[in-house]
Amino acid sequence: MKAVHMKIYIIFMFLSGILQLSFFNLDWEYFRMVQAVHILSSAFVAVVLLIPYVNRHTYEYMIVKKVNSISGVMLGLTLFLIILSGFYLFLVGNPGSDKLGILSYYIHLFGSFVLLFLLFLHIRKRVDSSKASLVAAILMFSAIYPGNAYSDTAEKLTLIEIEKDLDRYHNEDWTSSAKCKSCHEDIFNQWADSNHRHLVGTNPYYMVMENLASEDMGEEFRQWCMGCHNPSAVTTMQTRTTHDMDGNNMPNILFESGGQSLVDALKVHGNTRLEQGVSCITCHRITKVESKGNASYTLDLTNRKKYVFEESNTDVARWLSEKFINANPTAHKESYSKEIYKESAYCASCHDEFLPDSKRAVVSTFKEWEKSPYNNPKDKTKHKSCIDCHMTYMKDGKFSPLKGTSTTGGVIKEDVKVHYFSGANHFLSGLRNKTNEDQTIQLLKTSAELDIDIKDGQIIVGVKNVGAGHHLPTGASDFRELWLDVTLKDADSNTVFSSGKLNDKGNIGSDARKFMKVFGDENAKPVGLLFWRYKILLSDTRIPAKERREEVFSLPHAENLKYPLKLEVKLNFRIYPQWITDIVKRAYPQLPDPPVVLLEESQKEFK
Amino acid sequence: MRFFVITFIVLILVLFSVSTILPKKEKQVYTDDELRATALSRDLSSIPESYEELLALVDTPENRLSKEKIALGKDLYFDTILSKDRDISCATCHVLMKEKRKVYSEMLTSETNDKTDCVICHLSDQSGTDRFVTAVGHNQQENPFHLNTLTTLNAALAKYQTWDGSVNSVEEQVGASIQDPYQMNLSAAEVEQRLMVESGYLKRFETVFDELNFVNVQKAIAAYLKTLLTRSDYDRFLDGDNSAMSKLAKKGLANFINFGCKGCHTGVTVGGQSIQKFPLRDYNSLIDVTNSFNESEKGREVSGFTFNVQMYHPFPFENTGGYMGKDGEQLFRVPILRNVTKTSPYFHNGTVEKLREAIFLMGKHQLGMSFTETQIDEIEAFLKALEGDIVDYNVTDEEGT
Repeated sequence: MKAVHMKIYIIFMFLSGILQLSFFNLDWEYFRMVQAVHILSSAFVAVVLLIPYVNRHTYEYMIVKKVNSISGVMLGLTLFLIILSGFYLFLVGNPGSDKLGILSYYIHLFGSFVLLFLLFLHIRKRVDSSKASLVAAILMFSAIYPGNAYSDTAEKLTLIEIEKDLDRYHNEDWTSSAKCKSCHEDIFNQWADSNHRHLVGTNPYYMVMENLASEDMGEEFRQWCMGCHNPSAVTTMQTRTTHDMDGNNMPNILFESGGQSLVDALKVHGNTRLEQGVSCITCHRITKVESKGNASYTLDLTNRKKYVFEESNTDVARWLSEKFINANPTAHKESYSKEIYKESAYCASCHDEFLPDSKRAVVSTFKEWEKSPYNNPKDKTKHKSCIDCHMTYMKDGKFSPLKGTSTTGGVIKEDVKVHYFSGANHFLSGLRNKTNEDQTIQLLKTSAELDIDIKDGQIIVGVKNVGAGHHLPTGASDFRELWLDVTLKDADSNTVFSSGKLNDKGNIGSDARKFMKVFGDENAKPVGLLFWRYKILLSDTRIPAKERREEVFSLPHAENLKYPLKLEVKLNFRIYPQWITDIVKRAYPQLPDPPVVLLEESQKEFK
Repeated sequence: MRFFVITFIVLILVLFSVSTILPKKEKQVYTDDELRATALSRDLSSIPESYEELLALVDTPENRLSKEKIALGKDLYFDTILSKDRDISCATCHVLMKEKRKVYSEMLTSETNDKTDCVICHLSDQSGTDRFVTAVGHNQQENPFHLNTLTTLNAALAKYQTWDGSVNSVEEQVGASIQDPYQMNLSAAEVEQRLMVESGYLKRFETVFDELNFVNVQKAIAAYLKTLLTRSDYDRFLDGDNSAMSKLAKKGLANFINFGCKGCHTGVTVGGQSIQKFPLRDYNSLIDVTNSFNESEKGREVSGFTFNVQMYHPFPFENTGGYMGKDGEQLFRVPILRNVTKTSPYFHNGTVEKLREAIFLMGKHQLGMSFTETQIDEIEAFLKALEGDIVDYNVTDEEGT
């Protein structure tokens, strides 16, 4: 083993190392290759060649020949530090919060220049030029060796836009969310039991509705639902949403938590099975959003920066790819996080819903927010965007930003944006995970305030939307049930008036005051479940942000009432009406009934 | 020494770049009319649209079709009287709607409901199969060989029936299914006995045939099965409508013909006309290099350049049920590809869930080709174009007789 080889190795590693500096702004395809070559070859060279050589060399000169070389000692020490920090970066990485990781990074970066300087001091011989050119040739070849690319051409169906040069994606383009779990375990687990994960095959209400839509409007109409609910299926040209099977049985889709089926599918099938629904990279690879119709967003799955082996299905390669990311995660972060993700408009492409033909709005959550006092870009203290409520951790009924990390070992953040996606649907996520349910119910309970009074033989109930930055309720507010449950008792504790009680079938009585909108078809008949038939708005009793709505109940025989009267008013919420659950249960008999959630309660005595 | 090193490097470089250097030769490009002519000349043909053409195709001297006979067969197909426990009809596993109307919303809201939860959503698929991995019959028993239920759609046009092709006509198959202990489990004598006493059947049999016997039950149901044919975009394309199939699907059809798929999946049914060995190529050797130059790994059994260290496996998927085909020789009837998009999961034991995986496995094991994603896209689009609706030959009343 000649000394000249060692010099070539060191120079090669130095060159491949500094090429990765942002200063050189290397093209991503080259960068990822240089990085992998640098890490793998350095690890090999250091252990197998360099360390044995340095040992022998030191023994030969310092112990046998008793040569005292300061540059030699310094060089050895620096090399030792660089190898040590290199291995630390490789095996542990520099994800952000790890002090040793940061230290290793700087030692590795600046140490390499020191090393090179010391190397030149230490040697006075010429470098064998022919060998150097050989190394350079190998380096060049490794850098230009083409990476894998999957997508190519076919046809297009919905409002979702993808890369201009592509017509469709393939299963492999849609990286399984389970792949993200190894480094983003907390976030993955929050999302795995959230409503964003359960938009398709694991959501019985959706499955029934999509089938119903297809029966009513034709098979093609499924795409209208799937644009927001199932973008991965739409962009891979699937015609309908499907559900998993476990042999001859349907797996227990309602109570599975932690995304277990996803994790298992990744293990068995690698990344070749499509993950239906809204996966991690759906939201994290949206590059443009508009509020002009359903699913009016632009996806870009293929132009992200993938490290070497990131696409591989074998365990060793996948492990290596995670090491490559951790060693220098900048490109990874930039690939999956964009400034627009913090803006409310980002959510608009799906949370403003339109009918495909008439462009009539079915859901306008974003537009409601836009007009609300929470949209106040001039006064930052009053401005609250979607994620300030829906992605902020809640504790004891209050927003209490979670201090922690979003990556295992990552930078400590003051306000980790949690992925519970608390909204209104506590029910389906609650079947899987109590934390998810609890977060949503805490949020729901911050939304409204009640004030009650009896005057001139009338019960007057005021409901103020104090918490929601949009109408109360919003979303599919033709299905959401928010209503007043009123009980008035006289001096003898006899109930003299009541409203909003459930009947024996579990449905709300027709006397109830509900806060909702009612859609009618062209004949002004309520559309019921078939909300895509909406033509005429029959009524709208929802409460806009910061506004108060008054409900007046006139009391029969007010003059004969025995005082003191005791009035009890509850503001109740139920995510799906019982009659809808009954329908869905025909196809999914294991579905429990969603409970009624008490949002606010007020009692008062009148003398 | 240096010479060898350089030669070695050059060799390695050439090996790695061979896939990019080789010219990408397009398979023969057809115009639409050429494609149609080629398909028709290779024994592919369309399903008839009229009752008269239907008769020409399926009518046999042994079992002459008549409207009364078809109506009788239809009623029997949907009648649970033919099973031991009076709980299974043909339509229980070969799921079809009896009436031609929208039933989904009706079933979701009706007070009485005798349908299982799966059927509620899947009845409108009109697939003629149960979508289960393996068939479930009398007393909830699963098929002992873990065999998957075949569709009744277009089955009457196949030369061979069942997975191993041991049955030669739908008449015979009807009898076998009724008597099979794992299916309806009712003997021929019991069938005759039950139908004798059941109101109406005796008289109808006497009108249609001369007498009520098991053979005539088989014939009646077979007559109905002969009308369960589907027409699709592919048929409309073969009949001369160039716009019926998408560009992608046409490319798929060209691939289907050029790659050799149509060698076995042939005839009006696109399959079911012969018995073939599966898998044709055995990749159980220690080193598997079939996928080395493929751009994507499939995550099943073998991927990329791998060492095959698993046990010997007769099929490129789990050998659930241990069924080895005709005479234990891995001989299977070539499946009918019409409506294949409605009849997942795939292969005889239903262990392959996805169509794309099935296409890939067929390419690799029957043709020795590693299909690219693009080729799979095209073939998948073609198979989608084979999906069709049951042709209305106007022979039975809406509600049966």
